[in-house]
Amino acid sequence: MQIGLTGMATLSWPGLLKLRAENASSPKSERKSIIMVWLPGGLSHVDTYDPKPDASSEYRGPFKTIKTKVSGTIFTELLPMNAKIADKFTLVRSMNQTAGGHPAGTMQMFSGDPDTRDKPKPRFPDWMSVAHYLRSKEGGRDNPLPNYIGVPAASPEYSSAAYLGDAYAPFAVSDDPNRPNFQVPNIGLTDTSEARRLSDRLALRRSLDTLERAFDLEGELGALDEFEAQAATLLTNPKTRDAFDLSKEDAATRDRYGRNRWGQQLLLARRLVEAGVEIVTSNLNGPLCGRVQNWDDHAVNHHQFEALRFRMPTYDRCVSALIEDIYSRGLDKKVLVIVTGEFGRTPKISFDRSTGPGDASGPTGTLQPGRDHWPRAFTSLWAGGGIQTGGVIGASDKRGEDVVERPCNANDFLATIYHHLGIDYTKTTINDLNGRPVHIVANGRAIPELVS
Amino acid sequence: MSRFLLIPCVWLLLCLRLHAEDPLSFVRDIQPILTKSGCNAGACHAKAITGQRGFRLSVLGFEPEEDYEAIVKQCKGRRVFPPAPEESLIVTKATAILPHTGGKKLEPDSEMYQTLVRWIAEGTPYTQPDEPTLVQIVTEPSRISMKPNSDLQLKVTARYSDGSLRDVTKLALFEANDSAMASASENGLVKSLDLPGNVAVMIRYGGQVSVCSITIPLGAPTDQMPPEKNFIDQHVFANLKQIGIPPSTICDDSTFLRRVSLDIAGRLPTIDETKAFLADKSSEKRDRAVEQILHSPDYADYFANKWTALLKNQRADAADITANFAFHAWMRDNLLANTPYDQLVREILASTGTIVSNPPVAWFKRVKESTTQVEDVAQLFLGVRMQCAQCHHHPFERWTQAEYYHLAAFFSQIGRKATTVAGEDLIYHKRGIAQTEHRKTRVMLKPAGLGEPPLDIAPDDDPRLALADWMSKKDNPFFAKALVNRYWKHFFKRGLIEPEDDLRDTNPPTNPELLDALAKHFIDSDYDLKSIVRVIAQSHTYQFSAVPNEHNAIDRQAFSHFYPKRLTAEELLDSIDMTTASKTDFADLPPGTRAISLPDNSYTKASPFLKVFGRPDNASVCECERVQSASLAQSLHLMNAADVKAKLTANNGRAERLSKAEAPTVEGIREVYLAAFSREPTEEERRIAEEFIGRPRIDAQDKPIEAALAKRMAFEDFLWAIVNTKEFLFNH
Repeated sequence: MQIGLTGMATLSWPGLLKLRAENASSPKSERKSIIMVWLPGGLSHVDTYDPKPDASSEYRGPFKTIKTKVSGTIFTELLPMNAKIADKFTLVRSMNQTAGGHPAGTMQMFSGDPDTRDKPKPRFPDWMSVAHYLRSKEGGRDNPLPNYIGVPAASPEYSSAAYLGDAYAPFAVSDDPNRPNFQVPNIGLTDTSEARRLSDRLALRRSLDTLERAFDLEGELGALDEFEAQAATLLTNPKTRDAFDLSKEDAATRDRYGRNRWGQQLLLARRLVEAGVEIVTSNLNGPLCGRVQNWDDHAVNHHQFEALRFRMPTYDRCVSALIEDIYSRGLDKKVLVIVTGEFGRTPKISFDRSTGPGDASGPTGTLQPGRDHWPRAFTSLWAGGGIQTGGVIGASDKRGEDVVERPCNANDFLATIYHHLGIDYTKTTINDLNGRPVHIVANGRAIPELVS
Repeated sequence: MSRFLLIPCVWLLLCLRLHAEDPLSFVRDIQPILTKSGCNAGACHAKAITGQRGFRLSVLGFEPEEDYEAIVKQCKGRRVFPPAPEESLIVTKATAILPHTGGKKLEPDSEMYQTLVRWIAEGTPYTQPDEPTLVQIVTEPSRISMKPNSDLQLKVTARYSDGSLRDVTKLALFEANDSAMASASENGLVKSLDLPGNVAVMIRYGGQVSVCSITIPLGAPTDQMPPEKNFIDQHVFANLKQIGIPPSTICDDSTFLRRVSLDIAGRLPTIDETKAFLADKSSEKRDRAVEQILHSPDYADYFANKWTALLKNQRADAADITANFAFHAWMRDNLLANTPYDQLVREILASTGTIVSNPPVAWFKRVKESTTQVEDVAQLFLGVRMQCAQCHHHPFERWTQAEYYHLAAFFSQIGRKATTVAGEDLIYHKRGIAQTEHRKTRVMLKPAGLGEPPLDIAPDDDPRLALADWMSKKDNPFFAKALVNRYWKHFFKRGLIEPEDDLRDTNPPTNPELLDALAKHFIDSDYDLKSIVRVIAQSHTYQFSAVPNEHNAIDRQAFSHFYPKRLTAEELLDSIDMTTASKTDFADLPPGTRAISLPDNSYTKASPFLKVFGRPDNASVCECERVQSASLAQSLHLMNAADVKAKLTANNGRAERLSKAEAPTVEGIREVYLAAFSREPTEEERRIAEEFIGRPRIDAQDKPIEAALAKRMAFEDFLWAIVNTKEFLFNH
């Protein structure tokens, strides 16, 4: 247990108490940053990265397949830009988990919770807040930016810091970064008179705040000082504002990501990891998904194939841009990019009546094709992080229904992430509210091909 | 002296030698090696359900039969190979001769290695004929004083049923209960660190536990003690003298009044209360203030908030509002009426009827499973954490799985009948024999209190009443202690036992005499909750200044000075409202309702302020669900959030009113100090504030701002600075 003085200052008090009770070994592997691009509702694997051109028409969608940069690997025509850089990422086509609902499925992917029942609130902290917590414990970080930022947070309704406490929840950027007057609350006051007033207030408080000299042994007031200083820096330091300022990016780069919400979200994510933020998630949801604003393409919600035609060009552009950018800026060893949702979509096409008109959904009552929840097999994408790319790990069967090779579950997914963060997932436990040590990964093993 | 020691040592050596030649047994000789090497740790082969790579052991070796089966019989017997013992899988893996994910756990040729190999060579016997069983382990010394930064070697002796002894120091496990104070190596070498106080090292071997209690004295002079006000001071001061930590002085009147109002009523004193208290010259005024606050309804509001959170008054559905309001009101009214604690607990855990007719029934609406009922009752009212024992023997405790199910049997006859209100059942006693099935043995077990023989309860009697009877018996070892320790922590930030609801032999109190005396006081008062609050708040120990003297800054557990506490989310919101003279509106409640009086958790979700400052969601029976730690989000919130800004600038708020007042600015400054800190500003503070407020202001275009507006803005800024000071954020 080694904590420097600077570390003390950034630690919260219960954090310190928990640390004493823990059995965390000090990780030795190189620490990396992670960007997780989250597709809430789940990507239809068979219509995108894991096409099944030989399946019967009850299964097969209308999309043709295309060749990719990697010989032998094919995608559907929805992913032309991804196909061109298929050598820069690796796919896991054998992802699977056991929960069929959005809450339980997301919780399983985020925290490894094996309970397949949908619960209103997570029981366990998600990997992002665990990483945030363990990073804070290490201390020694002198970057004023929050270390876990959601642009915006991945599935905020199903993710949680649970017993770690909200101090480890993400700093959430909810505004649309593509808006010309995009603003991040509490970051860099733009109004100069506001900023001046805050400086005056801080100065006045400094001269009136005399109590701490008397008692600051436990580091609690020190921690508070540190957060106050960080908050003041966030509010007043132009450099912290710069990290969020997309106008500092050249126009060509902004265009390459796509001048839309998702594109600029992912550009912002890249900008933040470049500025030293270590845990970034980005939720690809909202109107760019279609009528119901997520990837939940049941026939009642969306016309599955219209929905994909509607959203995939935006997706294809922004995700390929992010991956390319990570490599062209030499961040590919330091930054791991993951793209996934909580499950795939049912390979067998179902038909139902639309419950409402809108983007990618016909008028109410229109019979349209959809796909339901499918946790038994789906695909996740991994890039950067120093991993070997251009590969495909595992396989689903000829219809995309079940994993037939190298199954990888949510625990393996989490173990791989922790490995890249330099966190020893085999030993690290965190005490829950009952003081019981809980493993951050129950029974997983980092996917060997992804940890090189 | 040395001669006396020598004799048992020689005798022990003889015993050891004798044992070394004895044939080996799995239970006596091998299981401790597996535990010591960490094979059966939760992280390794004792991982729930799966074990590790198909090899599964019981947690910390509490189930030797299962473990024997796993080692000797499973895996087609490959794990042990008597013809060539060194080639047994269990040996080659543990020594990492074959790849082992867990790494090297045994050094080849170590004593443990030799024992393991010899046991395999001897044909892997489970036990020896007439093998004596382990009765007890004894640690020497069991109580000692150690200088800071010094070493102490512990010795652990196992005693068997035939009276034989064995030195098991090398095979025992050691763990200090406060690693900031002392560490214990795997060989039982204890190192004390810098901090003075009391620390315990827990020793485990073969399912038995023992403790070494260590005092680390500071050794500073303690000849200048304040007078003892009551028995609390007597015990605290005795401990301080023993450790050599001189206490801080008694705090001033302003600090006392603010502290005691926050701790008993959850709010700042009003300006009028402060003025009256400061003007009062009577020597009894502090005792009287405690009495007055205790008598006020604010006391009931504040403690109802604490208890309803722990009793999970949770709004899962909009329709829960009636039940939640009823339960909260019931709790509040009982606290106000000062219903004896044993009665209060009885009415909750043995409640019958519907929520409308009997509000404590609401607890059974929230806590439905009998496992959760037994675990919550044990943790909340007995300070015993039974969760582990549902599935395996508690690793640090004497509680077995059987005791868990004996306790659960008290809840086995709860009848439920649906009512017309969705989700709300009528709770009744279902006639029948109270018993619960042991999860592993499948034997039906009758109700029994912890450490008590099973009870025969007639089918017509509600077993929960028998549980309440046992809990409130004057000699119950847990009930009173758990409450007084919880309340002690409420006032002093740190329990005499930490965590406050984890009472066990291996986690002794830092001041056992004090805990006993508090429990006795509580029992003798017939479980009078106000009486325990009164005796604490009136003690001089509670009234020590937070400002340390030249010696005691280092003290964290002997209560030689007051440990400042950050205001809770509700206290802080109410305090900001009081200081800025603004109000917060809460849904479905009359205007002016304070955060401390909120009946359930639905308001936490609705209020960004309460959420960010850690108001709990009423989901856990543990007070630790309330997060009191600082965070970046909190600092940002206080500095810049819309709701706080609105309070500073509120129409008819204090800033506006003071900026328009005819009285001189300095009167406004005094008023703010009295409201926020219950004290007058110092000369220096007055000067700084006056200068700040009088300063001319310019706008964004560097034009002067008109005087009236400038003055209002200045008071807003002044209030901002005040509520952002640590003196405001902390109860000190």
